[in-house]
Amino acid sequence: MFAVIKKELKSYLLSPIGYIFIGAFLLMFSVLFYNYFNAGYAHLEYVFYDASTLMTFLIPILTMRMFSEERKNGTEQLLLTSPRSLFSVVMGKFIAAMIIVLITIFGTFIHFGILRYFGEPDIRITLCTMLGFFLLCMAYISFGMFASSITENQIVASVITIGVFILMWFLPGVSQFFSDFSLIDMFDHFPRGVIALNEVVRFISFSVLFILLTVIVLQRRKSVK
Amino acid sequence: MIEVKNVSKKYGDFYAVRNVNFNVQDGEIVGFLGRNGAGKTTTMNMITGFIEPSRGQIIVNGVDVDSKPKKVKKMIGYMPEGTPLYTDLTVKEFVSYMADLKCIPHKNKKEAVEKAIMQTGLDKVRNRLTRNLSRGFKQRVSLAGALVGDPEILILDEPTVGLDPKQVKEIRELIKSFKDKHTVILSSHILTEVSQICEKVIIIDKGEIIAVDTPENLEKSVETKQVYIVTIEDTENSFEEVFKDYDQIKELKKIKENEDKTYVYQIELKENLVDDKEFRKNFAIKCAENNILNLGISKEEANLEDAFIKLIENRQDYTNEEINKIQYERELDELRQQKQEKQERKEFLKEKKEEEKEAKKLEKLEKNNKDDNEGGEE
Repeated sequence: MFAVIKKELKSYLLSPIGYIFIGAFLLMFSVLFYNYFNAGYAHLEYVFYDASTLMTFLIPILTMRMFSEERKNGTEQLLLTSPRSLFSVVMGKFIAAMIIVLITIFGTFIHFGILRYFGEPDIRITLCTMLGFFLLCMAYISFGMFASSITENQIVASVITIGVFILMWFLPGVSQFFSDFSLIDMFDHFPRGVIALNEVVRFISFSVLFILLTVIVLQRRKSVK
Repeated sequence: MIEVKNVSKKYGDFYAVRNVNFNVQDGEIVGFLGRNGAGKTTTMNMITGFIEPSRGQIIVNGVDVDSKPKKVKKMIGYMPEGTPLYTDLTVKEFVSYMADLKCIPHKNKKEAVEKAIMQTGLDKVRNRLTRNLSRGFKQRVSLAGALVGDPEILILDEPTVGLDPKQVKEIRELIKSFKDKHTVILSSHILTEVSQICEKVIIIDKGEIIAVDTPENLEKSVETKQVYIVTIEDTENSFEEVFKDYDQIKELKKIKENEDKTYVYQIELKENLVDDKEFRKNFAIKCAENNILNLGISKEEANLEDAFIKLIENRQDYTNEEINKIQYERELDELRQQKQEKQERKEFLKEKKEEEKEAKKLEKLEKNNKDDNEGGEE
């Protein structure tokens, strides 16, 4: 697994993808931060709350190439004929993407520092929001990775990912039942400084489900290929 | 040793590979020959565990690919068709990543990577990104990825395709050097390459194996006519006259007239009737007797290309119904065979049991007799 993490991180950081993701997020985060800051709010959680919708469009930058590129270039053969288990390959890629997200979240401590200089932001609420944001990204990445495993076209993979994320925004409006499946709704409590165990479990369950589905898709392709 | 037993791969109604059976011994270099879409890559992919067969069994060094894929994959180095590489990595990084994927222990990794790089002649480009390399070097990088960690088995899919003649020669020499150290299966369209490198050739067509033999035997199998090319100096222009009625010759044809007034003839003998040595001797004597200077005589040998073409041409195309029928009959045969073996085993066990029973009975009788005798003596 560490070999895959190392290689994936290298790919993210030696190509523009990693920098585009981190740069685009921090730029938009800074714009949102500036608006709130100008309005006199010294709360980073508001910025994170708005930034959560940004991830709908940014996460596919990280995930769209994960498996579709391997499949298109034929390097998938190198992975699947190696003695490494499919699970460790999938987890390696997943964790590498999570590390990039983590680096991005760490970048927002600059904004926290600015707030701290001028006001008195609550560190506990900020950390709680960051945790929720991290869990939200984890769920998003797991789905984006799954979308990437079902097609060899990166554009199709990203369109599926964005489409499903947007659908999730509107799900709660259709029926109360669907609100349980809305990732944005799950994130709602964290900016209020509440770590709800059921929300954490739901984020983790969602991620585990799509990680396993990715493994199944890759496993199944061996028999139908 | 690789054992491929009754392996088939089906896509819907289409059989990409049908009832393939063959063995590859340790240290052997085996070539897969076949037209495009014949099933070479599919068979190789099934051996490597990349795709699963629809039916049949593949055993690598006594280990079933289906039940213990991880163990089998550790023994195999695979160079896929089209040399897929991670283009954002350097040569060294790529080979090192392959070593990691192959679970090579950290302490041996550096040495294994170095060895693979040196073996494939990548030393000078080790720090260059694979995307910036020429086709030949990319091929070598892919080969280095397969070679790293010295796997017992190497499976190389079209290893020399797209290379220039010098690179082809180098790669061929490299593969030849693997003999006895690795078991190699390679696929190729280039027949001369297979006949030069491989000890055994497997010809596959329309998903079925149609021949497994050495290149020499395959070539011999298609030698149906004896043809000689002779070069002569004939000042009296009597060659055709002299040999026209020669009883061993079927056809005599002038194929070239050289500037130095020598001629090249093609002589076809009556089908396989004549001993090679005897013909050459008689030909030389007859030339000498008629003042014809024999400058050279060579026999035209059938090559692997002829064997390949002969084997694949006029092969019957089966309809799906016929394929299913053949398949059904084969399965029935297998079941019958299994049933017979089971019956034989049962009978053998029964006989053995009866023999044991008999032996026990005899032993008991002997014991009783002994006891009776001892009682009588007392």
